[in-house]
Amino acid sequence: MELEMRKMLDLSRLRVDGLKKPYVTLMMDIIGRSLEAASQVDKAIQQDVRRLPDGFTFDMRALPDGPSFNMKKVDDCQLKYVGPGIRDDNDVSLKFKHVSHAFLVLSFQEGTARAYANDRILVDGEVSDVMKLIRCLNRMETIILPKLIAQRAVKRYPKIPLFSKVSLGGRIYAQFVKNVFRG
Amino acid sequence: MSKPYYEFFCPVKIIAGSAALEHIPYELKMLSASRPMIITDKGVRAVGLTDHVLGAFVETDMDIEAIFDDVPPDSSTEVVERAAKIYREKGCDSIIAVGGGSVIDTSKAVNILVSEGGDKLADYAGIGLLTRPLKPFFVVPTTAGTGSEVTLVAVIKDIEKGMKLYFSSYFLLPNAAVIDPRMTLTLPPHITAMTAMDAMTHAIEAFTGLAKNPISDAYATSAIKKISENLLKVLDQPSDVDARLELAQASTMAGIAFSNSMVGLVHSLGHSLGTLCHLPHGLCMNLFLPYVLDYNLQERGEVFGELLLPLAGAEVYARTPATDRGRKVISVLRELRDVLYERCKLPRTLSETGKVTQDQLQKLAEMTLDDGSIILNPVEVDFDEALSVLKKAW
Repeated sequence: MELEMRKMLDLSRLRVDGLKKPYVTLMMDIIGRSLEAASQVDKAIQQDVRRLPDGFTFDMRALPDGPSFNMKKVDDCQLKYVGPGIRDDNDVSLKFKHVSHAFLVLSFQEGTARAYANDRILVDGEVSDVMKLIRCLNRMETIILPKLIAQRAVKRYPKIPLFSKVSLGGRIYAQFVKNVFRG
Repeated sequence: MSKPYYEFFCPVKIIAGSAALEHIPYELKMLSASRPMIITDKGVRAVGLTDHVLGAFVETDMDIEAIFDDVPPDSSTEVVERAAKIYREKGCDSIIAVGGGSVIDTSKAVNILVSEGGDKLADYAGIGLLTRPLKPFFVVPTTAGTGSEVTLVAVIKDIEKGMKLYFSSYFLLPNAAVIDPRMTLTLPPHITAMTAMDAMTHAIEAFTGLAKNPISDAYATSAIKKISENLLKVLDQPSDVDARLELAQASTMAGIAFSNSMVGLVHSLGHSLGTLCHLPHGLCMNLFLPYVLDYNLQERGEVFGELLLPLAGAEVYARTPATDRGRKVISVLRELRDVLYERCKLPRTLSETGKVTQDQLQKLAEMTLDDGSIILNPVEVDFDEALSVLKKAW
C-alpha cells in the first residue's frame, strides 16, 4: 500500500517538462506563506526565529532569475512573507542552481539536506542563521505535510503525536488562510 | 546506494616526496613568477623550517623577496593587510605559505588583497565573490592534519567587527601543495598525534557523510590506511622520513576528500568546543570521533564496516563478521586513542582536557546545532541528542 502511494507521489515518473517553473512558482508562494503562518503559531519555530538578528531577511530562489520568495523577521519571533522578487541585499539566500533542482526538492523527491549534499543548492550568508532557517523549514514541513510526504523532505521524521500534528497543523492552515485574506 | 549526482574538483598540483622543495623555483617559473614572498609564523621560522625553503632557492636565478613571519595562531584582517602591504612594497609576484592552518588561511587572504587590489579584506568575504585567478600561490604544510593546502576556504578574524570572515572560492585554491618530509620531521609527538587524528576524522567523515562520492571515497580510504599504518610508527621513530611522508600525504588526501564531501557532527561539536573553550581543532576531533560514530552507527553501520579494511588491515577485516565490522571500526579507533593518550596524553574525554566545565555542555549543544557541518551528518541531530553525545564524551 505504502509502495503504491510512493509510486503515485513519484513525480519523476511524470512528464512535467514545461510545467516545472509554474509548479515551483506556486510552491515557493505556498512555502513562504506557510512559513509565515507557522512562525505565528508554533513555539519551536518562534524559538529559532527569535535568535535571528533583528530585521533579518532571506530568500529562496532558483537561478538565474527565479521563481523566488523573500521573507523578513518581524515582531521578535515571527517571519513575514514579503513576496517574490530577486534581491541581492538579503542576509541569507538559498539558491537552487536550476529550476529543475528546485522542482526536485519542492516536489519532495529530494530532501533539503540531500539536495545540499548533491550540490544542487548554494547557500549565501551567515551559516548559523542558515541552520536556524533550515530547522524552521523542516519543522514546518513535518507539521503541515502528511507523514508519507514529509519523511521524504527531511532527514528524519520526528516523533509527533498524531493529535499534536493535527491540532498544530490545523492552526497553521487556519492562520495561512487568514493571512491570505488579510493580504 | 550509489549517489545519483556528485561533483569533484581538485586542481591543486601535488608535489610530494624527497627534495620536493627544490621543485618550487621551476614551478614558479612555469607560472611566470620570479619574486616570491614567504608567509610563515615565528615558531616555524625559529625551528629552521623556512631555511629548508630558502635553501631551495640557493644556486638558482630566483630570490625570496620578503619573509613575513608574524602570523599568529588565530589570524586577523590586520595581519593580512600588513602582509599585503609588505608584498606590494617589495614588488613580489607570488606567495609561498610555509606553516599550518593559520598561515595557509592568512596567505589565501593576502593573495585576495594583492591580486584584487584594495586594502579592505572584508570587501571580499563571502562565497564565490572572486571572479578571476589570483597570483601564483604555493603551500608548504608543516603539519600533517589540516588539509588546508587543498581546500577552497579561508577563515580570518575581523577585529573591527568582532566576527569571523569566511572566504570561499575556487580561486583560493593554491597552484601547488609541496609535501616534503623535512617539513614535518621536527613535529613533537602530541602535535603529530593530534594533527593525524584531525586528518583521520576528515577522511572518516568524508567517507560516511551524506555527500560522499566514489572519488572522494578513494582518497578517504587511502588516507585512513596511511594514517593507521604510520602514525604509531612515527611516534616510535620520529625521524622516520618515509613514515612522515606517508602521514603528510594522508593529510593532503583526507583534505581532498573532505573538501569535496564535507564533514559532519564530529566537526560541528569540534568547532563549538574550539570556539568556546579555545582547544586545538585536532584535539577536539580526536575527542569526539568515537562518540559520534556510536551515534551514527545504527544508520551507517554498513558504511563504517567498509573502513575496517584500511583501518585495521586484512586479517582483522577477514575475521570480523560483516555485521560487526562497523562496531569494530569504533573499537579500533578507541584503542588507537588509548595508545595516543598513553604516549602523548592526548585527551579522550572532555574531562581529560581540564578546560571544560559541565555547565558549558548546554551552550556547546546549542552552538553545535548552528554549525554548518551538521547538515551533512548522516543522522539528524536535535538539542537533546547533541547534549547526550556531549555527556557521553564527558
